[in-house]
Amino acid sequence: MITAPSTAEGFPSAAPRASGSEGFLSAEDLAALNPPPVIGTPGEFPFTRGIHRSMYRGRLWTMRQFSGFGTAKDTNERFRFLLAQGQSGLSTAFDLPTLMGLDSDDPRSSGEVGRLGVAIDTVDDMLTLFQDIPLQDVSVSMTINAPAAVLMAFYLAAAEERGIPWDRLRGTIQNDILKEFHAQNEVVFPPKPSVRLVIDLIEFGARAVPQWNTVSISGYHIREAGATALQELAFTLSDGRHYVEETLQRGLPVDAFASRLSFFFNAHNDFFEEIAKYRAARRLWAELMQDEYGATEPASWKLRFHAQTAGCSLQSQQPDVNVVRVAYQAMAAVLGGCQSLHTNSLDETLALPSEQAVTLALRTQQVLAHETGVADHVDPLGGSYLVESLTQSMHTGARAYFQRIADTGGMLAAIEGGFFRREIAESAYLYQQQFDRGEHIIVGVNRYQSDEDVRPEIMSIDPDVETDQLASLRRVKNLRDISDVARTLDDVRRGAAAGENLLPLLIAAAHTRATLGEMMQALGDVFGTFRFAEQ
Amino acid sequence: MSETSPSENRANAALIGTRVVLAKVGLDGHDRGVKVVARGLRDAGFHVIYSGLWQSPEAVAQIVADEDAAWLGISLLNGAHLTLIPRVVAALHHIGRADVGLIVGGIVPPADIPTLKAAGVRLVFGPGTTIDEITQALSPPPETPLDLDLLCKQSHQHDHVSIARLLTAASSARDGEAIRTRFAATDPQATTMRRIAVTGSPGVGKSTLIAGLIKSFRQRSSCRLAVLACDPQSPVTGGALLGDRLRMADSVPHDNLFIRSLATPSGLQGLAPNLDVMERILAWSGFDLLIIETVGIGQGEIAVRELADQVVLVLQPQTGDSVQWDKAGLWELADLIVVQKCDLPGADGMLADLREHLTRADGSASPIIGVSSHTRAGWDQLITSLG
Ligand SMILES: Nc1nc2c(ncn2[C@@H]2O[C@H](COP(=O)(O)OP(=O)(O)O)[C@@H](O)[C@H]2O)c(=O)[nH]1
Ligand SMILES: [Mg+2]
Repeated sequence: MITAPSTAEGFPSAAPRASGSEGFLSAEDLAALNPPPVIGTPGEFPFTRGIHRSMYRGRLWTMRQFSGFGTAKDTNERFRFLLAQGQSGLSTAFDLPTLMGLDSDDPRSSGEVGRLGVAIDTVDDMLTLFQDIPLQDVSVSMTINAPAAVLMAFYLAAAEERGIPWDRLRGTIQNDILKEFHAQNEVVFPPKPSVRLVIDLIEFGARAVPQWNTVSISGYHIREAGATALQELAFTLSDGRHYVEETLQRGLPVDAFASRLSFFFNAHNDFFEEIAKYRAARRLWAELMQDEYGATEPASWKLRFHAQTAGCSLQSQQPDVNVVRVAYQAMAAVLGGCQSLHTNSLDETLALPSEQAVTLALRTQQVLAHETGVADHVDPLGGSYLVESLTQSMHTGARAYFQRIADTGGMLAAIEGGFFRREIAESAYLYQQQFDRGEHIIVGVNRYQSDEDVRPEIMSIDPDVETDQLASLRRVKNLRDISDVARTLDDVRRGAAAGENLLPLLIAAAHTRATLGEMMQALGDVFGTFRFAEQ
Repeated sequence: MSETSPSENRANAALIGTRVVLAKVGLDGHDRGVKVVARGLRDAGFHVIYSGLWQSPEAVAQIVADEDAAWLGISLLNGAHLTLIPRVVAALHHIGRADVGLIVGGIVPPADIPTLKAAGVRLVFGPGTTIDEITQALSPPPETPLDLDLLCKQSHQHDHVSIARLLTAASSARDGEAIRTRFAATDPQATTMRRIAVTGSPGVGKSTLIAGLIKSFRQRSSCRLAVLACDPQSPVTGGALLGDRLRMADSVPHDNLFIRSLATPSGLQGLAPNLDVMERILAWSGFDLLIIETVGIGQGEIAVRELADQVVLVLQPQTGDSVQWDKAGLWELADLIVVQKCDLPGADGMLADLREHLTRADGSASPIIGVSSHTRAGWDQLITSLG
């Protein structure tokens, strides 16, 4: 019999994973599924089998390694290195102060500047970050959330200053604040104004930056925080629904923006469960877009997603083994039909990845694409008794979660009541208890340990980064006209209070060299701040 | 929240009640690990106080001091350990708690471990650690004899570490009696310390309300304020995850604000043991105002009557809570009834209902105030009523 773990209230928190009493399923099991699976054809509604008819036979997925560290100049060098290695898109990691909307010279930033990503304080840093990179040809992704509108303003102002028209820009900004409230915790403002900023960017992008993905609705971090695959699926799609509903409130027709919504999922260890998760996600989204939101453009129905292998599955013991984990996880993402993929580096539990480790991670994808032959087949697991029944139970389980969220009063009420955080913490603790009892075997950690102390060469951040960044920030501040800055910041405050779309005002402020921290402070003056109250 | 069943209860008698502060410092928001460890330690019998995110080193030291923690666990996944840990150590020295057992969990490159150990860190736990490995490393605090005279002298001078030690000792098997005798002569009613008890069912918003009170009182005057926050303890393991503080303290520590979390065994009327002695200790230490948060609904409020000058009963809209309070006949004990969360629907109806029904036999009635901690509605009236 198929059993699933459940939460305290008895709801299943994970989809069943066992395949029948004897370990295999047959045609009868598939026929007995109720409701029956909707398998369909690749490239056709509801896209269970993929959003394109030819999938990777037509075009390979985008190999997009996330990187960023130190100053804008350091990261610019890494970007150019990656492009030279054959990477097809750029992906920017920002440092914690930037992610929290703080300038490098804020006392709270001390010790963290440029450490886990690149430090960006002003539009000048953005110009340096992409210097000599043709932004009209390379797609750029930016992992930023609470201050996403400000960073997008920097990017658009930088493009303007370089004379690149906005309609030539391609890329993605994560801009997904809901999963920050559920899982990743990089929030600055309370939920309501935070969501408003997300929607401002979606709305503005739909009009002015038509090729840009203005949100990347992310399950990745929800999963890393300890959620099950089912919770990752259900919570991510619920977040997507909330953004759609809020954008519709602005009077934008659904087909005017839906095709710019993108998704970001985790690629974890449980191979077939992961594949089923991606397939169910596509089907659910297509159904929601068509049935609930009335989208009529096929592009609006298609769930496009980026995948990243699971950071939390990496181990610091015997780090070379991580390469093997990453390879299998990446294969699950590809068999699940991802549009772009990041493969983790083997040394990420120890420090930021070294150049050598990043290259190996990229090579892992290249082998997958060009040597294994998996890219020659479209949805090769379609019709598998196991994968179809797992896909179906993911679908059913996610629908049940949608209902529970609606029953608690919708997204914002569920956030305020701590629903998502409780669910995720519960799953994380359950997993830990199972690990402690030895129910999960992790090679090199609780089985097949080795005394050998292998320490890969790790990258250390130049201790001068903070000083360098502070000096360049000081230079920018000395050169700007402070009365221009004050005037545009006043406009931001006024627009925030008046409910105007903030992007044009933030872009104007960016041109005057207003800093990230100044703009976030101006918004905070109107929006207030936020602190998590746990339990 | 799941707790382990008695059969898998790992609690070790000697460990039960060992106080552990778990903290996140800096901007790092990764809290999966620290929350799992907090639950794991609770289920192993520890009394765990979690700081919440984004703490400064000074705030963490303050928590360790007030909570009289035996262990401090810092969780760091932001690569800033070499900057932040020495600052935490310096802050602990400064406050007089360099003796706390300092452990670090998270992502620390092996090459950095010797540096951290040299700075005073006892143990570093990476990913893949089991909860058992952590509990085994956390021994109970050493049984050092108390220098009562010194502690009394220093607490009178408002030293948080000494005050916190005395509060712990008040409930210890070894020193409890000595402390009780020592403070027998300090009658809180005879001092200028005012005592406000805030009571009500779990989740009605007591801690949040107290957070607001702390802010208001501190804005008004430079009063010295103490909070004793009672949170339930597991009847199975004796462990507790004490969460009130998280809602109350902002990240800037103040010398004039002392917050202590207390685990409350079931069956003690929602009050931690020896609260009467603790009040005497706090009165002796020169506090102007004491706020006590008590758990649960029940008979506890009768006991709390004796311990407080003013009893504030907190209710919230739409819970049917008021019926239970009515049945328990406890209305009359409250000097003030606060309907919290008045930003939620149903608040007006509830206020009207209460006003209609709550008149004592002698025709008098306790004031009823609707407030919202979120919007601050009704706040001025609340502060005025509390005097
Ligand atoms: N809507 C609303 N929620 C509140 C208010 N005050 C507190 N809460 C929420 O109520 C929950 C419980 O609060 P807490 O202070 O811990 O309650 P306690 O258990 O009585 O101490 C938390 O989720 C708070 O965010 C308020 O004024 N309005
Ligand atoms: Mg409380």
